[in-house]
Amino acid sequence: MTASVGRTSWPALGVVVAAAALAPLVFTDFFVSVILTKSLWLGVAAASLIFLSAYGGMVSLAQVGIYGVAGMTFANLVVADGGAAAAWSPWIATIAAIVVAVAVGLFFGVIAARSVGIYFLMITLAFSVLVYYFFSQVTQLSGFGGVNNPDLPSLVGQPGQDPAPLYYTTLVVAVLVFLGLRYVSRAPFGLALQGLRDEPARMRALGFNVTRHRILAFTLAAFIAAVAGVLSVWYNGRIAPGSINLAQTIDILIIAVIGGLYRLEGAWVGALTYALLDNYSREWTPTVGDVLGAERFNTILGVVFLIIVLLSPGGLVGLWERVRGLGGRGPGPPGEVAREPAPAEAAK
Amino acid sequence: MKGIRLLALIGAVLALGLVAGCGDDDDGGGGGGGGDQAAEGGGDTIKVGFLSDCEGAFGSFFEPTASGFNQALIDKAGAKPASKKPSEGVTGATVAGKQIQIVGYGCSDGTADKAIEETRRLVEQEGADILVGPLSGDEGIAVANYAKDHPDKTFINGIAGAQDATLKVQAPNFFRYHPDGAQWSAGLGDYAYNELGWKRAAIIGDDYSFPYTSLAGFVAEYCAIGGKITKRIWAPLGEKDYSSYISQIPDDVDGLYVGIGGSGLINFVKQYKQQRGEVDTDRMMGNVFWDDPLVLKEVGNDLVGGTTSAMTAADSDDPDVTAYIDRLRKSYGKELAGLGPSVFTYGYYTAGQALIKGLEAVNGDISDQKKLQAALAKVRLSGDEAPYGDVRLDENHQAISDVFLKRIVKDKTGDGVADVATFRRIPEVNQTFGGFFTAEAPPPDRNNPTCEKRQPPPWVGKAEEVSFGT
Amino acid sequence: MATAATSAERAEPILHLRGIGRRFGGVVAVSDVDLTVRAGERRAILGPNGAGKTTLFNLISGEYPPSTGTVELFGRDVTAAPARTRARMGLSRTFQTSRLFGGLSVEDNLYLAVLGVGDGHLRLVKTGADGELRDKARAMAEDVGLGDRLDVMVSELSHGEQRQLEVGMARVAQPKLMMLDEPAAGLSRAERVTLTETLLALDPSVTLILIEHDMDVALRVAEWVTMMHDGRVIVEGTPAEIRANETVHALYLGSHG
Repeated sequence: MTASVGRTSWPALGVVVAAAALAPLVFTDFFVSVILTKSLWLGVAAASLIFLSAYGGMVSLAQVGIYGVAGMTFANLVVADGGAAAAWSPWIATIAAIVVAVAVGLFFGVIAARSVGIYFLMITLAFSVLVYYFFSQVTQLSGFGGVNNPDLPSLVGQPGQDPAPLYYTTLVVAVLVFLGLRYVSRAPFGLALQGLRDEPARMRALGFNVTRHRILAFTLAAFIAAVAGVLSVWYNGRIAPGSINLAQTIDILIIAVIGGLYRLEGAWVGALTYALLDNYSREWTPTVGDVLGAERFNTILGVVFLIIVLLSPGGLVGLWERVRGLGGRGPGPPGEVAREPAPAEAAK
Repeated sequence: MKGIRLLALIGAVLALGLVAGCGDDDDGGGGGGGGDQAAEGGGDTIKVGFLSDCEGAFGSFFEPTASGFNQALIDKAGAKPASKKPSEGVTGATVAGKQIQIVGYGCSDGTADKAIEETRRLVEQEGADILVGPLSGDEGIAVANYAKDHPDKTFINGIAGAQDATLKVQAPNFFRYHPDGAQWSAGLGDYAYNELGWKRAAIIGDDYSFPYTSLAGFVAEYCAIGGKITKRIWAPLGEKDYSSYISQIPDDVDGLYVGIGGSGLINFVKQYKQQRGEVDTDRMMGNVFWDDPLVLKEVGNDLVGGTTSAMTAADSDDPDVTAYIDRLRKSYGKELAGLGPSVFTYGYYTAGQALIKGLEAVNGDISDQKKLQAALAKVRLSGDEAPYGDVRLDENHQAISDVFLKRIVKDKTGDGVADVATFRRIPEVNQTFGGFFTAEAPPPDRNNPTCEKRQPPPWVGKAEEVSFGT
Repeated sequence: MATAATSAERAEPILHLRGIGRRFGGVVAVSDVDLTVRAGERRAILGPNGAGKTTLFNLISGEYPPSTGTVELFGRDVTAAPARTRARMGLSRTFQTSRLFGGLSVEDNLYLAVLGVGDGHLRLVKTGADGELRDKARAMAEDVGLGDRLDVMVSELSHGEQRQLEVGMARVAQPKLMMLDEPAAGLSRAERVTLTETLLALDPSVTLILIEHDMDVALRVAEWVTMMHDGRVIVEGTPAEIRANETVHALYLGSHG
């Protein structure tokens, strides 16, 4: 084994998954659905962002746009209220939705891959905004007030009645996404991606096609985002332009940052934290005159976000490891090579 | 090692969730399973969830909507406001000997997803038996669909105006006691064609669902009696600069119907004035946003002479209306009472009134909500229950009620802000416009409904002239 | 001209620069340089700071294109070819300041260097081929004295270790032409000795171009020296001729006594 950005701890993963598998026996239907299932699919969406950020050094805001394309495609291809209602089988619609979103991701990637830093961030933000406006205005696809009640695969049953089947489906998908991305990070493609994160000029000098590699990494992340998009429609039972607006784009970024932009696990830690805060802060927010009150729960979310970001650039996962006094390795920004200025003069 | 620590972290987060997730069961509110419903329903407390928007485009209407709903409980259920801030709730609300507990003032952001999450939180976690809300169009369709899946709960719409929520979804347990977005435009087509003599008109609106609906109401009526729509102009959602759309407005039309909302309308009016010198309001009508207090304050003086419509009339001197405003003032002060005529406050007020009447009809027994739903379907609101005009429901649980035509007039009250003069009452406006809108017809969009001469809506020619105050 | 160069002169040229120039805005970094390097040659490029040595390296490796002139590599005009194409033709280089993958281990760094010139950059799964590549990477780590540091993250290596790894990265892909940009920079005296021995022990078939300020390293390793100043080549010759050259002394060696 080699040291790298995080490694999989199989016993820990096993215990977490086993605990997750027992959740429906312990928690209320509401909790299993609105907290846990939502955390899992939001985590998949955030994982697509974290994958690009942790391994590729690209912080993308396009992930919500891409999952919006997948979600809208799925919702339009099956029987639903609103939209095209093409009445395909839900499974074929799922595959088609992912294919379409990946194709869109590839196209976006071709445009964005040459940019870095703030320019990459802005271009990808523009993609999400573009997708949002497209579906806001093409009501043939987004329906009148969204596409409602899409036909779902029989596998997930009726999430409104019994959330367990969808929960388990989402859990399996999330685990596969986690393991898959972790595996890819150690495969040639993933290692090369980390190489061009650290030193793109070196990668070119070693014979790599850096731009092509970034495009394909973006496309792979688009695939993960597309999976999250289909899951989001299964979970919500609808999709509307409001499901993929700027606020959602920012929420996914917040989830990734809360969890930690440098570790895949952070995606789900962040999503769970977000879902709990989003739901319960409405009850917990203290009333302080006219300034704070239950309807200002977002203030609490913002304060928590700020505290985490200030305490730990590596998010909750990074914070945890720092608290344990074992920073440095693993989380935190990908290691910078210590550079000493080369001596200017010959040392004769 | 590292894995174990991560595990502990996830464990800690989960434990937090466990406390939260299970805690609700202990309240007796959680679960949401059908089994304990009967027991709960037969108890002494009726749990009601309130759902509105405190974020997003309509976030500023959170307290006004809460004040409207609370006022109904204050008027008819013996409640007292807990504070001057409506969302702090009320105390001592009882109907037919049952205590009414508001389990939460849910906050959405104008999106369907958030509205459903809040609905689920209020219904499934907080154990609401009845939900009042939501506020905006897409949310209403989503909640109506949610209602369909939860027949053992009852849903009364707040002020969401999307036609589909009742016309197409037709959930047996979803009720709307106010006119929808298209109904709000009733009477304008008749007035434009027959009184103002508009033979040809253009329409301009924001390119999304609500303007489609309100413009559909105008088009359906105006075209039915012979008017021609020569151009439909749609500005992208969120547009700030309307100048290129203003220049598309043809000169060879007799009038223009404007379906631009909120801050967009303010920009539109300012830019129209810049481009064409003045806002020629005598050939303009607008949808419900025109007499919005904020719009009046900003550009009201430019809109003087323009015509608009809705289910409320700010200048009404009907004793029921003045009493309603007075009661609101006593409960929540001048500012919120000033918004009493706003459709947002009033929609939630009538929802509350209807709920109380329905509960009284079943003597507070909601052990079988089918009975409550049957009672709600028969509720008629009149007098102080619906100060702006009687309300009854059609077979889709959609309100049939009066709509007012109003003109923006010069300031009468001396505050420098233009005022509203109501001049017509359109009686008994129904959702279908006399069978034109149906569950099967394509929903309103950029090109629908098409402009055809046909059987006019039943209220055409039956408008009553009204005049309030001076 | 020089006897020491005769062996190299008989070999075919593998690098041919004709009238190469490069300007950055108004600044002329390299101007009208002609350079021929033959297979197996050991060439040092000397010159004071700002002479254009690193720019010349970047033009040869394809980091950016020349403003004027042509680059011919292994008998093919590569003036318009990107860096990756030249790398895959058998050119490898190091950087003046280490450009290593700080977030990866020593072994992963070397592995990527081997992978770069081969196929399968985009493979999403590991295969048997990776085992061979990793064997090469580990052997090279051993060669450059990092055999016991395989799993260490490169950002945690000392400066000396990073310089060793730089050279290892250039060697592991078994290039035909290797270009080292100040490999001795920042090294201790003992480390310089090791480096010199490593360079002297290189496979004689590998062509070596070296930018180096340290004359002990440069003049011991090189058999032919190109002297640059202000973006131009001013003198070429054997190490002995360079040591004796007046201009060189005035410009460069002299200043160091």
